[in-house]
Amino acid sequence: MARRSEQTTALLFVLPAIAMVGIFRMFPLVWGFLLSFTSGDGQGGSVWVGIDNYRQLTTDTAFHDSLINTAILLATLPVWVMLPLLLAILIHQGVPGGKLFRAVYFFPAVLSAVIIGSIFNVLLRYDGTINAALGSVGIEAVDWLGSGTTAMASLIAVALWSTFGMSVLIFMAGLSTVSSELIEAARLDGAKPAQIWWHVILPAMRPILEFVAVVTTIGVLTSMFGLIYVLTAGGPGTSTTLPEFLIWMEQGKMNRPGYASAISMVLFVGMAGLAYVQIRIMSRNANG
Amino acid sequence: MKTLVLSLALVTTALPAFATELTVWDWKSGDPAAAAYFAKAKEVFEAAHPGDTISYVMQPNDQYYTLLGTALASDGGPDLFLLNGGAQARARFENALPLDGKLGDLAANLAGTADFSEATGLYAVPLTIQGFVVYYNKALYADAGLDPAAAPKTWDDLAKVCAAFIAKGTAPCIALGNKEGFGMEFWFSAIAASLWTAQEQADFAAGNLAWTSPQVVAVLQGWVDANAAGWFPKGANSTAKFMDEYEGFMRGETGNTIGLISDVAHWKQFDEMLGAENVGVFMMPAPGGAAAKLPAAGGIGYAVNKKSPNADLAVEFAKTLASAEVLQVFFADAGAVTANTQMDTSSVTSEAAKTIFGWLATETVPMAHANASAAQLEELHRQSQTLLNGEVSVADAAAAMDKVGK
Repeated sequence: MARRSEQTTALLFVLPAIAMVGIFRMFPLVWGFLLSFTSGDGQGGSVWVGIDNYRQLTTDTAFHDSLINTAILLATLPVWVMLPLLLAILIHQGVPGGKLFRAVYFFPAVLSAVIIGSIFNVLLRYDGTINAALGSVGIEAVDWLGSGTTAMASLIAVALWSTFGMSVLIFMAGLSTVSSELIEAARLDGAKPAQIWWHVILPAMRPILEFVAVVTTIGVLTSMFGLIYVLTAGGPGTSTTLPEFLIWMEQGKMNRPGYASAISMVLFVGMAGLAYVQIRIMSRNANG
Repeated sequence: MKTLVLSLALVTTALPAFATELTVWDWKSGDPAAAAYFAKAKEVFEAAHPGDTISYVMQPNDQYYTLLGTALASDGGPDLFLLNGGAQARARFENALPLDGKLGDLAANLAGTADFSEATGLYAVPLTIQGFVVYYNKALYADAGLDPAAAPKTWDDLAKVCAAFIAKGTAPCIALGNKEGFGMEFWFSAIAASLWTAQEQADFAAGNLAWTSPQVVAVLQGWVDANAAGWFPKGANSTAKFMDEYEGFMRGETGNTIGLISDVAHWKQFDEMLGAENVGVFMMPAPGGAAAKLPAAGGIGYAVNKKSPNADLAVEFAKTLASAEVLQVFFADAGAVTANTQMDTSSVTSEAAKTIFGWLATETVPMAHANASAAQLEELHRQSQTLLNGEVSVADAAAAMDKVGK
């Protein structure tokens, strides 16, 4: 009887959380999934079209370009993880002014994407500060945000600048948990500093590395909208269009919520798959 | 006595139940230049309809049609809603009340109704007329050794003007902001106006003029040729049209700009910033085309929600919004070229405005891009940017446009 009462109490405690997840996560997800099989035009004229939206995705060049751009973005992930790790190691080693660097690196993380985009708009535009600086030393101006060859790289650089401070903090927290006895033991065994880092500290940091990799992957796939909107509007052409921006275009500008939902579903499945693989690797390492 | 007091109390309590609040959606009522116009319309209407009130709800511009569509789909939504003329308006006609026979004397005094109508009738009351002309900086023309009084009339004239600007080397010839692709929208309609026949305009509007047809290809080729000839400044793809391009022109940094005739980026703003004596205007010529024309269309207009329980009252407010008395304020404050032909424009001193008003009477043709679908416009934005960068040929860009549905 007491056990049943305990279960009821426990259920009451988790009920709000379950309700929140159900209402704000699961319901929109299911609704979006159903919407992706309709020709919703934003005016109530929805008609069930089966897999037509998904079929259309196979011939939509803007969607294909957005997937290629996503692949390019994901290919830069090692930089997103290794650069903050390197900086965290340097600060952890006690470089002069380490605390100042830590604060400076973290500072962009508290700025909104719109503010960061506006700042870099001024810096990167054709008649902007960076080109003015280049011009002063005789280097020809580059249309960083308006050229198909540089726009994506510029966008990635700005996004990296604005977010890596958080990863630096996580790595520093991880570094502080590495057992000093282990390091001391390695040193007594004659290990050189580089060997200590490679064979002792980095293996101990592996769960942290994997956590940062997962969080960063999800972040770059879902949090680039603000920067794209302010810096490039997805252009030139489709060179900085990512699936999340395309979803907004289809929904917000072309009034095609059905088609936008289909893109959302593809993005969701892709991200879920990627996250699953990464979490599996993390679990395997944790258990191994 | 007691009965009288009770009756009075009952009447007083019941009065608000008869009062009606009309909800009006737009994306403009928060604009300082338009604020006095909206306030005047509310004041005039509420004075004429005691107890009834107006509630303006301004929605974000870039989400407006999505929010409107969602609201209308829920069988609710506002009593009146603002629309852009052309394709955006036609897409909402199924939610709008037919207005034929409901506007009284006002109907005979409205211009721009074609962009708010289809074969089944009129579905919105136009407020303004919108169009594209080229404004030029007379001081920079003189600086480049050109006659400030001689505005270009043909493509060759424009080529000579741009050659003079390039030779001088101090200011770009034609300002261009194409970050969102709007630069191409303006170019497309301005060139098509002077290049296409009335039949070709009609064919394009009906979706019967292919993007790969010589007439449309000529417009795209003109874009590429002008860029290759150095008429546009570098960095157009990272320059926003509605901030950077026009601000640059108003600072006197560029020779010409394709601007609007009403509301914003127009004669009133440019006169105020550059001085009226320095602002000239001409209609955009086209390569090898006939006489230049002014692409114009019904700018914005109000539709009445056909499911509104207060539709009759909403029609009355739409008439107030489009009345000459109220629009006079919009004209005075924002320089809006209104759709009401009874407007008194005699107080205008701007030479550029007088010239434009003269053209409006005789030289207007359809605004081609307003007859393209939202999907076509989006693809046009993309193709225009890659054309400027030389990443795609005109033939390939036109072929890509043809793949997008009307």
